[in-house]
Amino acid sequence: MTPVIEARNLSRWYGNVLGISEINLDIEPGITALLGPNGAGKSTFMKIITGQLKPNLGQVRIYGQPVWNNREIFRRLGFCPEVDAFYEELNGQEFLTGLLSFYGFGEAECQKRALQALEMVGLQDVARRPIRSYSRGMRQRIKIAQTVAHDPDILILDEPLSGLDPLSKRRVIRLIKEFRLAGKTVVVSSHVLPEVEAMTSEIILIHHGKILARGDIHFIRELLDSHPHMIRIKSPHFRELARLLAGEEYILNITFEPQVSAVVFETHHRDKFYDRLNELILDSDLRLEEITSPDDNLQAVFDYLVER
Amino acid sequence: MAEVREKGYHHWNGQLKERYWPFWPITRTGIKLAFQRKRFKFLFACSFIPAISFAVGIYISERLEDFKFMAQGAERALQVNPNFFKTYLTMDFIYFMILLLMALGGAGLIADDFRHKAVQLYFARPLTATDYLLGKAGVVVFFVGILTFLPAVVLLLLKLLFSGSFRFFLDYPWLILSVIFFSAFLMVVFTAFVLLASSLSKNRNYVIAIMFAAYYLSEITRGIFYLIFRTPYSALLSLPANLQQVGAAFFRVKTPYAIPWFLSLTVLSLFCFLAYLLIKRKLRGVEVIK
Amino acid sequence: MKKEILRVFSFYFYSGKKSSRARTFFLLSAASVLMSLVIRAYQLAGNWTESGQVVFQNFLMVFFLQFLIVLLALFYGSSLVVEELDNRTMPYLITRPVRRAAIILGKYLAYLSLATIMLFSSVLLSYLILNLGPEFSLEDLETVIRYSLILWMGLAAYLSFFGFLSTWLKKPILVGLAFGFGWESVIQYFPGTTQKLSVAHYLKSLLPQYTTSGGKLGFLFIRLEPTRPLLAVLILVGIVALFLTLACIIFSYREYLFED
Repeated sequence: MTPVIEARNLSRWYGNVLGISEINLDIEPGITALLGPNGAGKSTFMKIITGQLKPNLGQVRIYGQPVWNNREIFRRLGFCPEVDAFYEELNGQEFLTGLLSFYGFGEAECQKRALQALEMVGLQDVARRPIRSYSRGMRQRIKIAQTVAHDPDILILDEPLSGLDPLSKRRVIRLIKEFRLAGKTVVVSSHVLPEVEAMTSEIILIHHGKILARGDIHFIRELLDSHPHMIRIKSPHFRELARLLAGEEYILNITFEPQVSAVVFETHHRDKFYDRLNELILDSDLRLEEITSPDDNLQAVFDYLVER
Repeated sequence: MAEVREKGYHHWNGQLKERYWPFWPITRTGIKLAFQRKRFKFLFACSFIPAISFAVGIYISERLEDFKFMAQGAERALQVNPNFFKTYLTMDFIYFMILLLMALGGAGLIADDFRHKAVQLYFARPLTATDYLLGKAGVVVFFVGILTFLPAVVLLLLKLLFSGSFRFFLDYPWLILSVIFFSAFLMVVFTAFVLLASSLSKNRNYVIAIMFAAYYLSEITRGIFYLIFRTPYSALLSLPANLQQVGAAFFRVKTPYAIPWFLSLTVLSLFCFLAYLLIKRKLRGVEVIK
Repeated sequence: MKKEILRVFSFYFYSGKKSSRARTFFLLSAASVLMSLVIRAYQLAGNWTESGQVVFQNFLMVFFLQFLIVLLALFYGSSLVVEELDNRTMPYLITRPVRRAAIILGKYLAYLSLATIMLFSSVLLSYLILNLGPEFSLEDLETVIRYSLILWMGLAAYLSFFGFLSTWLKKPILVGLAFGFGWESVIQYFPGTTQKLSVAHYLKSLLPQYTTSGGKLGFLFIRLEPTRPLLAVLILVGIVALFLTLACIIFSYREYLFED
């Protein structure tokens, strides 16, 4: 399949601070997720491919054309910025119709598209309210509405689920999936793995400005599986628990913290561990006070990947 | 029943002590942030040019014989008396520099808190609205004091040192009090002015425009009304003119305008009071959107 | 390009009209109307016999020329790019299929229109309040229109200059203040060609002139050495063209980062 977005040796820095470094990437139609912790370079990459920033080195092309100041590309592109910023004196409808007018649509067409976009994100009832009166979630949804209102072929969404309640998140994820079915190209950034998992299986891991890994979700999960997990359990029966689990072949290491009645298990099969733990809780009199996973986060995965 | 333990939270069994000056962290941070702005230090340094010039004037006044060839007819101009100090503290240049410094370092005192919705964060702490305002006011007081009170006191000390006697102070024993009280008055007026402007908008540029617009418009209005009506009472319309009237009264010199000085004092005091009421009204933890 | 400019113009004219800032500046512009009302009432009470033309001349020079058009141009001009950065709305603008130059020109025209409405209404109302009477003639109407156009040219010139500053500097308002209220005032005291380095000089060349004063304190008075009217108009148009062109070029090629 012909890539829609092509990045070659893309690098960008801000003074002494590196944004992204030697990114080589082809993005095809469908949903591609950029996954990385805060400061990884996701927003920088998105700003370059949307023509807001110029790369210091390398180049980026969309549909084979350079992006900077390219109105034809902008006509087919929709961008949802991460920042919570609006023309506060306008209401939702005015905001959308105003931005739609830049595409050359007539007034009637702008109104129609604006209403459609508002309905898509569930804001039709508050269209006439000033944006400054919107809640955090509503503001995020109106941002998504302005991204999709002109029916672009490419959607670049920077943390689109930030600030949304679970129902709204599901709505937006459904919307994104509908765009994929319509043959559009969607690039989504996030630092929350489960959210990304719900949208797509095509993930690009980015960290310290570099691409660490690219592949589908199972590949990432396998990376997680091959990286030992630490699970800390506080219980008055911590030693008994350790005895019961020590024989399991997926337990790599056990560390005791007797001063706080806790035990830390190291395992490379998290799912099997939790299955067995559930069985033990149900079958025996073990009482657990607290279960935490000190390294169950993206940062730990990335740290692991960086160390490899 | 098992205890609920929140991860990372520990109960603290100490006694909660109230800060003696709860506004001080706000003032300290405001001053630090002002100095972090580019060009602020340069402008701040330039603001001392008049003080340096006046200090040189004091030096020359004590050595007039040596400078006679340069300063013919300058004996009168370089007479160090209460009028000398009043002139320094009512100079247009000083007021202009105060405005410029406040444009850089004071325009965002309240405006930035509105923009970033930080007012809620302040009032989620054990801080009253008065503490908040005192903290912000402290920043303006600091800079106005540095440009008015401090140089004036230094000029007094220089006069003492260069004259080599206490005669000047025996002639004008009330002068130090005039310096203190008029500087304090300037601090109050400029604080009210700057904080009022800052509370009117979230946009710092807009606040700067309002500050300069209000200051110059008052002076323009005075000029136009004087041209038309030829009455000295037109001075009551101008902020700098009123300050000059009050300054002259504090230093017991002839007022520049032929109107009772207490009228100017009343106008400025009324302005400060109204500014305070308006700022308190604007200061809310939650923005009410109509 | 024209259509793009028009689209940007419509958007910013509409949103600018709705903003609270527009109301504040409108009220500020109305200060001269208020002053005119007071003066006219004083005049009608028989306390004063000077003509309305004399009063208006003073308004023109002191309030409109040296204050209002500078302030309006300063605020709106310096907001051209900086407000998009401060409000972080720049991504909405530059990811749209609109030429960057069209954004500058469209915004410029929108803000110029808003400021023009404020200026014209203030000038017209002030003049009419001060001069309307049995002797009011067509010539008076021509006079006020001429004054309005001259002030408008000054507004356009200042707005283009401050707009250029906005594309170039991070804090254009301070430089603008120094220029508008500092340089423009001080430079007029200098003789010869130095006077011509200010916008105010060309505006004053088109307006009725002050008589110059001599004597010991003559240096304290502005000694206008006027430029020929046609040349003054051409230079003002040239200033607008130059700074708008520079602003368009800078904005088209520069990238703008938010201050985090």
